Amino acid sequence: MKKSGWLRRLCAGLLCASMAACCSSCADDDRGGTGNGSAPTSGTLTVWAWDDNFNVRAARAAADAYQRANPDATVQVVSMAQDDIVAKLNTAFSAGNYKGLPDIVLIEDYRIQSYLQSYPGELADLSDVTDPQAFMDYKLKVMTDTDGRICGVPFDSGVCALFYRTDYIEQAGYTREDMNDLTWEKYIEIGRAVREKTGHAMLTLDPNDLSQIRMMMQSAGAWYVGDDGQTVTIRDNTALREAILLYKQMIDAGIATQVSGWDPFVKAFQDGAVATVPTGCWIAPSISQAADQSGKWAVAPLPRMGNVADATHYTNLGGCAWYVVAHSPNAALAKDFLSKTFASDGALLNQLAADIGLVSTLKSVSTMSNYSAGVEFYGGQAIFQDFARWTEQIPPVNYGQFTYDIEEVMTGTVQSVVNGADLDAALDSAQTQAEAIIVG
Amino acid sequence: MQEEIDLSGKLKRNGGGRAAKTPGKTMRAGPLERRLGMWGWGFTALGTFLILMFVFYPMVQALILSFQTGRGANLRFAGTANYARIFTDDILWKALGNTFIYLIIQVPVMILLALVISTLLNDRKLRFRGLFRVAIFLPCVTSLVSYSLIMKSIFSNDGLFNQILMGLHLIDSPILWTTDAFWARALIILSITWRWTGYNMIFYLSGLQNIDPSIYEAADIDGANAWHKFWHITVPMLRPIILFTTITSTIGTLQLFDEVMNITQGGPANATITISQYIYNLCFKYSPNFGYAAAVAFIVVLIILALSFLQLRIGGDRRDA
Amino acid sequence: MRNAKTVTLRVLKYILLLILSLISVFPFLWMIICATNTAVDVNRGKLTFGTHLIENLTALFSPDLNFPRALLNSAVVAVITTVLALLISSMAGYGFEVFRSRGRDRVFNFLLISMMIPFCALMIPLYRMFSALNRAGLTAIGLDTYVSVIVPVIATAFLIFFFRQNTKSFPRDILEAARIDGLNELSIFFRMYMPVMKSTYAAGAIITFMNSWNSYLWPLVALQSENMRTVPLVLSAMGSSYTPDYGMIMAGIIIATLPTALIFFVMQKQFVAGMLGSVK
Repeated sequence: MKKSGWLRRLCAGLLCASMAACCSSCADDDRGGTGNGSAPTSGTLTVWAWDDNFNVRAARAAADAYQRANPDATVQVVSMAQDDIVAKLNTAFSAGNYKGLPDIVLIEDYRIQSYLQSYPGELADLSDVTDPQAFMDYKLKVMTDTDGRICGVPFDSGVCALFYRTDYIEQAGYTREDMNDLTWEKYIEIGRAVREKTGHAMLTLDPNDLSQIRMMMQSAGAWYVGDDGQTVTIRDNTALREAILLYKQMIDAGIATQVSGWDPFVKAFQDGAVATVPTGCWIAPSISQAADQSGKWAVAPLPRMGNVADATHYTNLGGCAWYVVAHSPNAALAKDFLSKTFASDGALLNQLAADIGLVSTLKSVSTMSNYSAGVEFYGGQAIFQDFARWTEQIPPVNYGQFTYDIEEVMTGTVQSVVNGADLDAALDSAQTQAEAIIVG
Repeated sequence: MQEEIDLSGKLKRNGGGRAAKTPGKTMRAGPLERRLGMWGWGFTALGTFLILMFVFYPMVQALILSFQTGRGANLRFAGTANYARIFTDDILWKALGNTFIYLIIQVPVMILLALVISTLLNDRKLRFRGLFRVAIFLPCVTSLVSYSLIMKSIFSNDGLFNQILMGLHLIDSPILWTTDAFWARALIILSITWRWTGYNMIFYLSGLQNIDPSIYEAADIDGANAWHKFWHITVPMLRPIILFTTITSTIGTLQLFDEVMNITQGGPANATITISQYIYNLCFKYSPNFGYAAAVAFIVVLIILALSFLQLRIGGDRRDA
Repeated sequence: MRNAKTVTLRVLKYILLLILSLISVFPFLWMIICATNTAVDVNRGKLTFGTHLIENLTALFSPDLNFPRALLNSAVVAVITTVLALLISSMAGYGFEVFRSRGRDRVFNFLLISMMIPFCALMIPLYRMFSALNRAGLTAIGLDTYVSVIVPVIATAFLIFFFRQNTKSFPRDILEAARIDGLNELSIFFRMYMPVMKSTYAAGAIITFMNSWNSYLWPLVALQSENMRTVPLVLSAMGSSYTPDYGMIMAGIIIATLPTALIFFVMQKQFVAGMLGSVK
């Protein structure tokens, strides 16, 4: 056992080294980073981020903190839809046209490898900014290029939780204790009761977005691709199979409301239309925005898949990190900004926990004051402590660079299964298509 | 001198038909013709060059690109792999399928509707004619992005339209315009029809004005009803215009992008995605794959060429008969 | 009996036309109502005018949205495109019709094929052509410039075809008389042809301006920077944001629609006449 593990690691190491020999993904630091001691502290930085309630607010808070210490620097935070950021980065990098690009950009963990591998050298090497000891390993893994360089500064944890309305659950005849060690099977049963007793749906599902399935899959340490990020593992993927079946059961049981896009998703729980929100912890500020529902919400670990042996209560959804555009004329200042804020400023990150509900991936923050404090909105529950604890238990997977390409295939697959198509045949066809994508 | 100018003048006059088949007869290579020929190239050169440069040259580039593969900046030769992938690509087939659904349902419905409206409006005794015409043409002044956003707001799952229907107790639960595959497609078709019916109507209206009213009067005497007059006079008389609008609508539908991008973003689960949007996604939404995108684009070109040819055959043959 | 039937038919006809007109006009009404309401009221489906118009306009013209700049960009692009497209296409259309020869007819027929080529097929190579300019250091004519959105669309086979068809109605006598008077071909074109064909130019101008003002896909690909974006790009970005503020968006749509609506109503006749000139 031990020997094979050791061997595998050696092989993986050799493979990495051989790949490193032929390509390097993030840009060499040729612009004199923070290391030479003469980092500029004046200039104007532009930061792109999405989600006004969360990422954008975090960036603004960091900007304020940095500007206070460096009065000569100006940091502008631009809020943009994630799809727009993705499209703009793609057009700019493939054209080599850097006009209008920001200095710092937020990129989702699922996508970063696509940039690092499709456009080597376009994002700056941040190895001298991000201390690998300081951050959680699972998070660092996603932003490390084939040369082993860390190209980003980790930001939030996407640890998932089950946010639920205690009042609805109680009306349905269940207690808080019932919610703490759920399986999805039991969850669906409660959902039926909720619908019957309260008339509300249990959750929202978005046919364009398979986050529900991604969450369940990773909770069992599985993904669309294997550990190498290249081998498609859709066909014989027990976790994925089970996740799709559960997804179908939720729809068949009539406990899910269909929504399209972010706005209706948020509106559903803010209007009290759903009893639970199973998703990443970054949703907390959007939930607590509905101040009139204070005290009615609680947080439980995500349900686990009862029929999958490796399934856990812990998984990740989304989560992102900060990157520096290598060709930015202000790259050095951008690095300085990141190194003094998101890469090290525990106090700032602690404050952000209270302000926006940030669950940081900086290890030291989890022991700070705001993490142990109870949150009034959630009836005094110390939710950040829970999030931090659960984050450590997330099964790491290699997202590879094709998550969304494959997901585009999978949305169709899942819908066809929901509509009654044969699961095995559907997964078989998805496997073939996903392989074609990766080869192409 | 005088005679030669006359000759070239005459050529123009019968140029309206298909005189181009025998231009050699009129363009003998005299010094004047040569001078005029130079002017001819001079006038047409810039336009021709720009179209060659920005349509035909890119087409050649696309063809070359379609035999390459790779992500983003790393392109390599791939033979016909991209074309082989087309056959297993469910999303592409879905996009093609959606586009054909729009084409088969939306184009005929819109053209028929536009024909009916223009027939109704062609009544000289009709009061408020101008007002009706302007009202029905009005949608055409909006940009595609603008009207898409208006439609998106009216037809969101909990939007105005559903609220009205539910308020009137016509439906119990909201119609899932954006999350149900059927309704999402219906919404796209509805939106396009709203935007373009008036546009096509304008063509038919002017065409109708050129039809001699005595033809209708003669039909009246024969006791033909409105239905008969519509199918046996109006439609045949407007055939060339109908052909023109059918071809332009077909090309427009095959290029559909703005509406789908802004109303449904192709969802739910690619139920409304179009080929243009898929090509865009392949380049700028997923891990960029320009080679495959170019291959998909080439397929679209072939389809449009085939369809236009088909329509010209169908529409043109009858006229000759 | 017959009379009663025709009266019912007439009434039905009016009702039908009224319904169709209402369907056509209603979204405009909704757009105007929305522009006066808050985003919350819009989502609620409020069908009465509100008092939020000023706030929506203020939000729309807030500095970080840069909407005035988008209006300027759209105007510059649309005007330059229209002027150049009309000049180049009318010269070509005139040239193909007035100086007919077998060779030029072949070229013309070849150019017509380009009408069948969908833009989505050209998008990728065009994008790569312009990005090659960027990589070569020619950033002034590369992506993210006015040039990149104007030049590829100033010559279209449609517009050349349109001018050629309309040139058929240009009186030959004028042409011949001018030649006898010793005017050269260029002077004939500028001094004789252009004034006579005023309404054709007007129609061509409307079509080109509208297409350019409303153009979305190519600018979406070619334009990057915030301060280069055109109106449709800004509107679309607003609509795809996490929480679209429909009050503000509708105010923006009204402003974006005004120029095209105005042009259409002022030049309605020329527009229709011109469009038909290309069908006949």
